[in-house]
Amino acid sequence: MQQEVVLAMLAKEPSQGFQLRARLDQALGALGEAMNDGQIYVTLGRLEKAGLVVRQHVPISADRRGPKVYELTATGQERVSEWLGEVSWPKPDLAEFHLKLIAAAAAGLADPIGIVDVQRRELIRRLREAQRAAMAESDGSEAGLLLEGITLRLQADLRWLEACERSWTDRRKRS
Amino acid sequence: MGKTLLVCRLAVRDVRHHLAQAVLLVIAIAAATATLTMALALNGVTSQPPYAATRAATKGPDVVAYLTSTSQAKKLVKAPGVANHSGPFPVASGIIRFDGRQADVFAEGRTTAPAEVDQPLVTSGTWVRPGGIVIQRTFADALGVSVGDQVTLNGESFAVAGIAVTAAQSAYPNLCNGTHLGPTPAASKFSDACPFPSFNIPLLSVHGSDTATASSDDVGQIWMTEADAIGLTSKVNPLTTYALNLKLTNPDNAQAFAYDRATAANAPLFSTWQGLGSEDAVLVEDGHGVLEPGAVLLALLAIASVAVLVGRRLSEYERRVGLLKAVGGTPSLVAATFLAENLVLALLAAVIGLLAGWLVSPLITSPGAALIGTAGAPSFSLSTAADVVGLAVVVALAATLLPAIRAARSSTVDALNDVARPPRRRRKLIGLSNRLPVPALFGLRLVARRPRRALLSAANIAVTVTGIVAVLAFHAYADGRLSGASAVTATGLSDPVINRDEQMLTVITVMLVTLAVLNALFTTWATVLDARHSSALMRALGARARQVTSGLVVAQVLSALPGAILGVPLGFGLFTAAVHGGALPPKSWLVATVIGTLIAMASLTVVPAQLGTRQPVAEVLASEAA
Amino acid sequence: MNEEESVLLARGLRKEYGSGEGLVRAVDAVDLEVARGETLAIMGPSGCGKSTMLHLMGGLDRPSAGELWLNGSRIDRLSERGLAQLRRHEIGFIFQAFHLMDELTAQENVELPALLAGRSPREARRRAFQLLDQVGLGERATHLPSALSGGQRQRVAIARALANEPLLVLADEPTGNLDSAATLEVLRLFEDLHTGGLTLVVVTHDERIAATADRMISMRDGAFVDETRLTGSTSGNLAGLIGLGS
Repeated sequence: MQQEVVLAMLAKEPSQGFQLRARLDQALGALGEAMNDGQIYVTLGRLEKAGLVVRQHVPISADRRGPKVYELTATGQERVSEWLGEVSWPKPDLAEFHLKLIAAAAAGLADPIGIVDVQRRELIRRLREAQRAAMAESDGSEAGLLLEGITLRLQADLRWLEACERSWTDRRKRS
Repeated sequence: MGKTLLVCRLAVRDVRHHLAQAVLLVIAIAAATATLTMALALNGVTSQPPYAATRAATKGPDVVAYLTSTSQAKKLVKAPGVANHSGPFPVASGIIRFDGRQADVFAEGRTTAPAEVDQPLVTSGTWVRPGGIVIQRTFADALGVSVGDQVTLNGESFAVAGIAVTAAQSAYPNLCNGTHLGPTPAASKFSDACPFPSFNIPLLSVHGSDTATASSDDVGQIWMTEADAIGLTSKVNPLTTYALNLKLTNPDNAQAFAYDRATAANAPLFSTWQGLGSEDAVLVEDGHGVLEPGAVLLALLAIASVAVLVGRRLSEYERRVGLLKAVGGTPSLVAATFLAENLVLALLAAVIGLLAGWLVSPLITSPGAALIGTAGAPSFSLSTAADVVGLAVVVALAATLLPAIRAARSSTVDALNDVARPPRRRRKLIGLSNRLPVPALFGLRLVARRPRRALLSAANIAVTVTGIVAVLAFHAYADGRLSGASAVTATGLSDPVINRDEQMLTVITVMLVTLAVLNALFTTWATVLDARHSSALMRALGARARQVTSGLVVAQVLSALPGAILGVPLGFGLFTAAVHGGALPPKSWLVATVIGTLIAMASLTVVPAQLGTRQPVAEVLASEAA
Repeated sequence: MNEEESVLLARGLRKEYGSGEGLVRAVDAVDLEVARGETLAIMGPSGCGKSTMLHLMGGLDRPSAGELWLNGSRIDRLSERGLAQLRRHEIGFIFQAFHLMDELTAQENVELPALLAGRSPREARRRAFQLLDQVGLGERATHLPSALSGGQRQRVAIARALANEPLLVLADEPTGNLDSAATLEVLRLFEDLHTGGLTLVVVTHDERIAATADRMISMRDGAFVDETRLTGSTSGNLAGLIGLGS
């Protein structure tokens, strides 16, 4: 789980672990549910070690201590601002697949079209899942927006796979 | 240069794409120009009077005097203002018989040598000789004789040596309807009495019982040698009339000259060239009264057909303009293409129309063939051709300018998307149609969604029915005239005026019917095409092909009905405007016309509709916008 | 598959245009079975013949050869009249361009097939309202198509296709003219209808539509080249979609 994500979640206010979890769930919907509980605590631990987050008790009154909460340090806050300003977009993994096809064809290890078909089927299944999840969300939910993004990207990837299939089929016809 | 070539190429391509439409356009414009040509030809006959031509060619007299004795001639010949004369020629009365027909004739005795004044022009055969007579042309037509035939005159046999025209007497059958000089110049024009002093044989066809003055429609003019003419006379049929032809130094004085001498006691009867000329004009004007409204009607019908054709092209045109504009072309390029196309088609149509009119005109003008210049092909002046071509060009321009202007004003996007004219919504009609069976539902909604096209359809039908009703009215009128003229049936001669009128009528009727059928074809075809998308959609939703076809028929009949009904009063109005005094044709004819038109429209819709339902639904939906 | 369960059956279906050198095989010896309640998606590049295939199934066009069975009766040899009957009662069609009548309101558009089938105007109207409600356009029943968005227009078209309770609904690129949000509307509707037991065959470019199907067939050059069964085949790894599980 990306560290900066958890950091950012703490920017609003210090929170306990389960509160963080709840906030993530709300934002990720069905996808969040599939997440492992432990993941969050592992990430929080790393952040503590890096000095971006500090864990301490919340004082309730002069002599009573509340539960332990996680809180951003000054460095942590800096990191969050930095991260918010970054414009990098996660890279899709097309190059790997592309090379996979070429290698398979060159070495005669497998039929590239077969590989494409298999990948297409997998992506279509994923698309189906994401879509179903999206439709289960109510209109305007945050999770719904995320799911829409995922479906659109899957769709784009599928388009590319169709192009791959066409291209490799033509290549086979010509040879 | 490149642009011209481009325009030409685009135009040719476009015509080839829409060949059927182009052909129909040419036919419609050709019909209009043909009618205009005929009207102009006939007009040419009247406006530039052939009488003048005849007068010039026959050395026509300025004044003709009918004397009771030759002694009257001396005074007249010596009168001041007289430049030349011929005669006095003896005029005998006779009855001519040929092929079961008979008629009264005045036989003028002439010398074989040409006279100085009034030498009738022989149009076929030769001039008089002993035993050979010359017959006036329209009279010969009516009698049915030609050169070489044998006729009987007062019981004796003669040969027809020739046929001629003259300017000294009115042409048959107006010989005795002519200009008998009355008490005032004004009263001189239309008189029942013959200019000849007496007709000495009991007239065959007499309105009154007075044989002293001939008063009939059926007297004809012939010429023979003097000896032969005198030979016709007898104790019971004495020679009592002589014709004297005078040429004046100043022809304009003819009326005054005659009037001065006509009122004296025992004065001769006079005819003047002005009176004779106007009489002849009436003959042709009569026909004009038939041709003009007929021509107007045909022109209207042709324009209506063209309007339907052009109307359909409007939306295609707009789409094309949009496309060209979108790729950077100018509306002017498309306008130029369209104009070039339409101009070429229109000019082609004009040529065809001119040719057709030229070929058909003799049919119309020749019965008025007493006069020179009307035999065979009518005189075609450059102005006629110019007028006709002008009409064609105007039509082409109108057909181009209108869509060009609209397309220039519309936005490119709208033109491309054909947004300009969505169908209209009529809530009540839609609600009403719900309860009707499918064909009626479909048909009613089709009319409701495109009211303007339905209106165009109705207008077309109105024009067609107007024409048919006018023609029917004229037929009824002509029948009436025919049956009233007992003179005709008694002697068996045909009345050339009615004959000619009927011929004109037939020609006009045929043209009208042809144009009406064409128009109906265009209209029904347009109706079906406009409804292509709706028809396909209905079929996709489960309507049967037969239901769709019936629906189209319903739509067509619904829009045709008001037009057909309107056409009846309009047609009668047109008829009365052209021919004064006529009765409405029998009601049964009118009802039959309206019903017949509706049935025709319905049947004509069926074929394109059925063809349309053969096409696969998916194809039509893919290609057509709503 | 049990033949009694299949709504549509095609054997050796062919559609050819032209002849000799110019012969085009739009649909080339296709076999197909569609089970009751199934959603089938047909995908393929432009010109692969999928639309033609759909038109053949819907009786909008006649096959050049082969057999076509709908609910156990042979339909490829039907007369024009028989095909019209088919379109009226057994088959509903949804087009990419919606093809609504612009001068009719939503309810007037939807009631049209019912009127064609001979139902009384009142009943047709009632059914139209019911369907418009079902597709979520109850309040817009009296709107003209020009007052509706693309997605709403397609939903009206879907309602229309359901007017006579057809056995089978065929959709030709139903989201072709729609944007992402409108597509989602239509997707939801198809899902609902599917749950309700509708048998649907969709021809589409859009992978999202295909992903809602139970079965997906790829078509190329007039023939079926691939078939994917999509129900019950999730990888169960939703989190894997977003890389949060690392």
